[in-house]
Amino acid sequence: MAVATAQPPANAPSQQRAGPRTAAPQSGFAPWKNPSLPPIVRFENITKRFDDFVAVNNVTLDIYEKEFFALLGPSGCGKSTLLRMLAGFERPTEGKIIVAGQDITELPPYERPVNMMFQSYALFPHMTVEGNIGFGLRQEGMPKDKLAERVDEAMGMLELRQFAKRKPNQLSGGQQQRVALARAIAKKPRIVLLDEPLGALDKKLRQQAQFELMRIQETTGTTFIIVTHDQEEAMTVASRIAVMEKGVLVQVATPGDIYENPKTRYIAGFIGDVNIFEGTVSKVAEGCIEIEGKDGYKFKTRSTEAVTVGQSVCLALRPEKIRIGREKPATDLNVIPGKVEDIGYLGSISHYHVRTAPGERITALRANAAHAVEQSITWEDGVWLDWPVDAGVVLAG
Amino acid sequence: MKGRFSWFNATSITLGFAFLYIPILLLVIFSFNESKLVTVWAGWSTKWYSSLLQNQGLKDAAWVTIRVAVVSATVATVLGTLAAITLVRMGRFRGRTLFSGMIFAPLVMPDVITGLSLLLVFVALGIDRGFWTITLAHITFTMCYAAVVVQARLQDFDKSVEEAAMDLGATPVGTFFQVTLPIIAPSVISAWLLAFTLSLDDLVIASFTTGPGATTLPMKIYSQVRLGVTPEINAISTILVGIVTVGVLSAAYFTKRQTERAERERRKAFGAAG
Repeated sequence: MAVATAQPPANAPSQQRAGPRTAAPQSGFAPWKNPSLPPIVRFENITKRFDDFVAVNNVTLDIYEKEFFALLGPSGCGKSTLLRMLAGFERPTEGKIIVAGQDITELPPYERPVNMMFQSYALFPHMTVEGNIGFGLRQEGMPKDKLAERVDEAMGMLELRQFAKRKPNQLSGGQQQRVALARAIAKKPRIVLLDEPLGALDKKLRQQAQFELMRIQETTGTTFIIVTHDQEEAMTVASRIAVMEKGVLVQVATPGDIYENPKTRYIAGFIGDVNIFEGTVSKVAEGCIEIEGKDGYKFKTRSTEAVTVGQSVCLALRPEKIRIGREKPATDLNVIPGKVEDIGYLGSISHYHVRTAPGERITALRANAAHAVEQSITWEDGVWLDWPVDAGVVLAG
Repeated sequence: MKGRFSWFNATSITLGFAFLYIPILLLVIFSFNESKLVTVWAGWSTKWYSSLLQNQGLKDAAWVTIRVAVVSATVATVLGTLAAITLVRMGRFRGRTLFSGMIFAPLVMPDVITGLSLLLVFVALGIDRGFWTITLAHITFTMCYAAVVVQARLQDFDKSVEEAAMDLGATPVGTFFQVTLPIIAPSVISAWLLAFTLSLDDLVIASFTTGPGATTLPMKIYSQVRLGVTPEINAISTILVGIVTVGVLSAAYFTKRQTERAERERRKAFGAAG
């Protein structure tokens, strides 16, 4: 297998980067769909309370070997606490943590088969890069020559050989980050935990580092569990994402699934941009429902959710699924007229903020690939928005 | 605010420093006095320093003082470091406030009371007073200073560095000796120097807790001065001032170097973020 995956330019839009990743190298990789495969990590009804505050509330979660698993959520949602419980720095108030079939809930951090990369990197300031990377191996009492070999291997993997004799304060932020990662993988643990590993890097460097993480994860075949509040980062690196909110797991799914079929309004809004239409169900047909919008519009959309007539629902629509044009479309289905209020030009794509007659604001997104004639939508233009039946997702409440 | 020269500031600084340092300066100058009379200047000489070397009583006292200072500073630094780690690292355990209060109370306790209470304890326990009782007493009162110095450093110490060590397989003891101690070493050294200096110039507590055969230098000086100041006393005092100055300055140097390093690391971290 070729080690180097083709790296698209770092400035490519995230949607394009997320696409081939989920499709290409790991297509067919879905151990969570195989009921006979035991998970490598199992959180069993984990609850963590700090005095009165419930940081993690009854979380049950399976993570499988070789997964790149992301815990995603805003700060304070309990994702870091969950990771720290797996590392052994916090003890769950209730529940069990099982790693590779062994209950590790009561084990101290230094007896667990996991290594962590810290948000602050937590490098040992009095040791060289070599010393930092070899620290874990020295605790095992590994013989000197073998240790040097393993340290060199880890340094090679992260292009750190030239910095071997430097101290952490003689390194740039990006180099420190690579040392922290090398130190976490040097012991070849079965599971590597990453706590906001790229939070301190600037955007450009962060994108490079994301691909580096993926490369290391694929070459070593280790299970990676990353905690992040950056949805784009989670979409880019992860095979599966668990979205947390206020200590509760809201949805666990592949990035594509979370984007296309968000389970709640919160997830729809948290991952990517979304337009939300509120309304009530007016008609239920085979796999298809009609919604009467608050503002009198009628939408027809596919629905896998079981809904009844009269129920109030939301229709979530991704901006890139809405067509925008100056001509009235031939169809009457899901068509709304409006006026362009704002245009966000991002180079490869443009965002159009359209105000409808009842005063709602809808965002539509269009790739700037079309010809000049089509491009000519500008401020204050009257436009028509429309979308196909299968473009939206119906969410309860 | 601009640092502009003003006569008022200049005068007050001069007067302040004069008040603080002229007595010490006089002491140093008169230690090089030829005359036997302390207040009459009769030309330069180092003869009191050489006569010091002949004075067995003063030499014995100096030797006792140094042994007391080394032993008590070492023990106090170990205990103070442990206390500081407990205070900073153990989180909120039951009785934490009481514990920290009891560690820091000797800082403000008058020496007379510390000395008297220790004396009562030693008498009640029937311990023969001498070298070891002075040492114990000095450990008691210098430990809190050591704890304060080490605690300050531990407080701005990134806890995740210790977590990383444990995560990589180091036991708590291994983590302490391989990671925590090397990082806080400068503050431990300055704590030792501070404790050493404090023990060196203590008179009150040592007087209460001493016994036959264990006279420290400050006690010796004090008792001799009551019989009249000799230039010899000036000489030994000058040496003491020298040692204390070196001790305090090196403690300050280690602390400063450490703060600077912490500051550099912080700047680096922010530089990387921005």
